[in-house]
Amino acid sequence: MSDMLQHFFKEVGKSPLLTREEEVELSKRIEKGDAKARDRMIRSNLRLAISIAKKYQNKGCSLEDLIQESSIGLMKAVERFDWRKGFKFSTYACWWIRQSVRRHIASHSSSIKLPTYAKNMLWKSRQMSLEYEKEFGVKPTKKEVADLLGVSVSTIDSIFACSGPTDSLDRNLSYRSRQTSRTLAEVLVDENASGVDDKLDSATLLSSIRDALDSLSDREQKIVRMRFGISEDDNNIKNYPLKKSEFDKIKSASGVS
Amino acid sequence: MTMPKGFKSEHGYATVTSVEGALDYRRIAEKMTSEGYKMNHSTARNIFLSAMRKLASHVVDTYRIDSSSEIVDRTAKDPRFQEGIFEIMDEIEADKKTSTQGECGI
Repeated sequence: MSDMLQHFFKEVGKSPLLTREEEVELSKRIEKGDAKARDRMIRSNLRLAISIAKKYQNKGCSLEDLIQESSIGLMKAVERFDWRKGFKFSTYACWWIRQSVRRHIASHSSSIKLPTYAKNMLWKSRQMSLEYEKEFGVKPTKKEVADLLGVSVSTIDSIFACSGPTDSLDRNLSYRSRQTSRTLAEVLVDENASGVDDKLDSATLLSSIRDALDSLSDREQKIVRMRFGISEDDNNIKNYPLKKSEFDKIKSASGVS
Repeated sequence: MTMPKGFKSEHGYATVTSVEGALDYRRIAEKMTSEGYKMNHSTARNIFLSAMRKLASHVVDTYRIDSSSEIVDRTAKDPRFQEGIFEIMDEIEADKKTSTQGECGI
């Protein structure tokens, strides 16, 4: 834990907790626009914000960031707290703090940003799978999860695909716990690349066809070439035969009698 | 001659419209006749198909697949096979031209 954070915790510990009566009194003053009352309400409840933030540690975000987000949630709760409803402030505030922290984790914990509803869906589907497995002893199929959540299988598929871990192609690989100069991109298999077998196969086929072409008679070769429009000599005028009608047409167009 | 009733080629028919400079059988017959090989368009077609059959049987032999005459016939007439042969011949010609240019120092 950093020194800054330890210092912050010490400072937070100095603010005394509020009684219910104090909370109501401060809330009344906040409603009237008292900035000092607001400040005291926030300071006194920072311990709650920290304790909630700590529960979300190890989810891809630093504790400092989580505390910051939970403090923002706390501020929102202070502004919206209605003392007339008779609840303790902490009961009301913890929902705002949790929401703030969860949103931050949802948008910062992974390289692929998932919308909040997708994160919620992911969480729900995981919870549902766990409960299902506990009850029936087997994991639910994708279709069952989708039916239970009221979404399509493709939605579940795409959400799970986006939530997976990410890796960098430029990451240096390690071999026997020693860093190598090779990157992940260099060792990934190209599924579309043709293998050595395929290349040998096509080379064999090519040479076989070349042999076969050589074995054709002169007459056959000529006809095949003409049929495919492959002339032996581009400059040889004999390779471009004309019908008599075409010849006459060109002749008349050029004005030669 | 009309096609047998109910016959439909699975992959279409080989035509010369897609290849630049390709000649139809009548023109081939005319040109061959002018070069001393007297023939009509159907002979030109028969010779072309027999050449294709020779090439197809080589391919069939290379892959050691069922080399019945029916398979060879079907392969020879298949426009995809003929396109493949065209591409290979075109490549061979291009190679020849490149090597000739290299020899001439172009």
